[in-house]
Amino acid sequence: MATPIYVLGGYQTDFARNWNKESKHIVAMMREAVAGGLEATGLEPKDVEVGHVGNFAAELYAMQGHLGAFLLDIDSSFSGLPTSRHEAACASGSIAILAASAEIEAGRYDLAMVVGVEQMKTVDPKTGGDFLGTAAWYETEAKGIEFPFPKLFGRLGDEYDKRFGLKEEHLAHISAVNYSNAKRNPLAQTRNWYMTEDHARSTDKFNTIIGGRIKVSDCSQVTDGAASVFLASEKAAKAYAKKRGIKLENIPRLLGWGHHTAPIEFDAKVAESRDNPYVLPHTRQAILDAFRRAGVADVWGVNAIETHDCFTTSEYMAIDHFGLTKPGESWKAVEDGTIEMGGKMPINPSGGLIGCGHPVGATGTRQVLDAYKQVTGQAGDYQVEGAKKVATLNIGGSGTTSVAFVVGC
Amino acid sequence: MIDIKDVVVLGANGTMGAGSGEVFAAGGCDVVFLARTVEKAHEGLVTAQNMAKSARIADRISVGTYDQDLEEAVAKADLIFEALAEDIELKKQFFTRVDKCRRPESIVATVSSGLSIAEMAHGRSDTFRKNFLGIHLFNPPHVIVGTEVIPHAETDPKLIPSTVEMLETRFGRTAIVTDDKPAFCGNRVGFKVLNEVAILAEQYGVTFIDYLIGPYTGRAMAPLATIDLVGWDVHKAIVDNVHVHTKDEAHDLFKLPVYMDKLIDHGHLGNKTPAHGGFYRRVKEGKQTINLALDPRTGAYKDTRENGLRPLPFVEKIRQLHRVGKYVEAMQLFVTAEGAEADLARKVIFGYVSYALNRVGDKEVVREPRDVDRIMGFGFNWVPPTVLADVIGVKETIKAIERCGLPVPKVLAQAKPGERLFREAHVNIGRFFAA
Repeated sequence: MATPIYVLGGYQTDFARNWNKESKHIVAMMREAVAGGLEATGLEPKDVEVGHVGNFAAELYAMQGHLGAFLLDIDSSFSGLPTSRHEAACASGSIAILAASAEIEAGRYDLAMVVGVEQMKTVDPKTGGDFLGTAAWYETEAKGIEFPFPKLFGRLGDEYDKRFGLKEEHLAHISAVNYSNAKRNPLAQTRNWYMTEDHARSTDKFNTIIGGRIKVSDCSQVTDGAASVFLASEKAAKAYAKKRGIKLENIPRLLGWGHHTAPIEFDAKVAESRDNPYVLPHTRQAILDAFRRAGVADVWGVNAIETHDCFTTSEYMAIDHFGLTKPGESWKAVEDGTIEMGGKMPINPSGGLIGCGHPVGATGTRQVLDAYKQVTGQAGDYQVEGAKKVATLNIGGSGTTSVAFVVGC
Repeated sequence: MIDIKDVVVLGANGTMGAGSGEVFAAGGCDVVFLARTVEKAHEGLVTAQNMAKSARIADRISVGTYDQDLEEAVAKADLIFEALAEDIELKKQFFTRVDKCRRPESIVATVSSGLSIAEMAHGRSDTFRKNFLGIHLFNPPHVIVGTEVIPHAETDPKLIPSTVEMLETRFGRTAIVTDDKPAFCGNRVGFKVLNEVAILAEQYGVTFIDYLIGPYTGRAMAPLATIDLVGWDVHKAIVDNVHVHTKDEAHDLFKLPVYMDKLIDHGHLGNKTPAHGGFYRRVKEGKQTINLALDPRTGAYKDTRENGLRPLPFVEKIRQLHRVGKYVEAMQLFVTAEGAEADLARKVIFGYVSYALNRVGDKEVVREPRDVDRIMGFGFNWVPPTVLADVIGVKETIKAIERCGLPVPKVLAQAKPGERLFREAHVNIGRFFAA
């Protein structure tokens, strides 16, 4: 990238918490993410020049809009802070990061705070499923349909099946790997849950079909959570490094980004990609753009991936779209252990959306934070040894808004 | 780290037996569920499946009876896990049988929540005594990760850290080592507070005291509702045991209130006896469920909507501050709030901090403040005592403890200015303060 954007760190809340049971307002979650991020980075509130919030649907889940303004409630030093809120369904957190980095690139600000946040456990699962349906074309794809998104991502699996063939066992393995990784992540929602590959393969009263080929074990979680990330210009990063006696080159950067949007309806996406080797070519392009801007020749130029596994089918798609295999051959990377911890390209060391959890508007921010933790050796028990560069892929809707980053030094 | 593969659970039909068995099976062990009958053992297996939310956990579980299968299963086991009723004579009978057929290197553990580990080991073979300890999981084990490891004087010293490591890394527990003292650490500290609140309920009323020492003081559930959940019989067993066998600064607070003793005799055991209830009772009136609360002075139950409970301004303000995540301001208000009710709430809460941290020391129940913090945080879902001290400020906490006329724990008296006492990196302290 022409203008470097430095990542100074951040903070993730414990995704196992139920903030509704704690009787908490969404601002409590934002406050913990910001306070934790300030402490983790050693920044003072007065250092922050601009605030960006990524959030999907607080108006529905928490009857609250205008989340940017809530940043001012967190610290009196934020008085007058310019803030905004960004929405692109499950990609909201990444869009907030893109907006913050664009402002730094434009020279408007030197230090930006990004907070991704979603409170989802305020409603029953069916109502929540309906709210999530607004990330699709609600009237044509979600209205009156129980759990529309599992059905849409089930159709992504169907499309793979039609074009290349798809075996359920590979999806089950993806689920088991994410749950297994999450056991090593002390902030993962499912860290104490029971899951085995046998369970993921079974269909019974405990692992029911939610829609099409998607079962409970194929789904990401309904999660309350927030994640903050602090971004800096070269000028601010230099001052930050000097103050702490660290080398500027040891502070990770957003080395590259990619951002594309596909038609919102799933049928339109499939129709558009009929003659393309990739099922979701705009997602593929977002990844390629991030690699190109980062100066990374291909996927083997990164050491790990944090991808959007809202369902096992989306991770299956990500595997070939990242270029780990030829199109339609994702199963090879599933079968040979490539995607596992210790494999050639660990995917979702954090546990991903299936294991770590999926607070919709926070996910993109959480992915970049996890990438930061990996490249700075701070990922603890889920550290990918020697990780220098980590790629992220965050998707809103049924493969609609795709944002990819490469984070590294 | 010890490597265990085969586990036998005695008493696998009970909640703790089935739940513990689920934890071991989920960690990859092959587990034999034993009970008096195969049907009972199978009930435990179904409980384990419901806890795991998976039918497939049964792939690692087999069932059997004490009469038919105990000897063979125990002979094969790496860990024999006793989860029978809290009756020391019954436990000892089974340990006699186990001692005769176990392999010398196998580990034998009891899930007892407070009976003497040394007494259970007494009279057993050398290898039994060496490999015997308490592994106290909390209810329900698949949700509550706090776990106490309790050696007795003859437990192999090497076994203790390796058991802790195994429980943490393989079974996802948050484990501490406690001394073999009545009720160990978590229940000693927790039931001191619970019984104190039960005593106060007689004077102040059930709904008022549960409101005053409610979730806003740093717990997931109000204290008297917690006793109903645990069961009055269990509560009585724990506090009686501590009251008889210990003598510390809170001795009188372990004396079971007379009204509870009487009601227990009449079958009021809390949630497990819904017809009688405990502090609370739910009754159906047509399609409506009515919540009733006990009047400890008369033994009658009254509709909670007619209890005349008026919200206290300081409690409501603290709850509102918690709701928006301002925990420091909230708990500082807790310290400065005026009035008899605030004084009473502080007496209980600073009593908790004082009593908990005074159980730390060479001759006490645990060695480090971290131990009592972890078991209260992850066994009870209560705010760890040092979190309260950090949030309120150590100096202010000491002053508040002194104002209540309680002993100031060494860890607070010796804290350096500005030192943070609670240092569990991944724990969100906000989770302990419900609004």
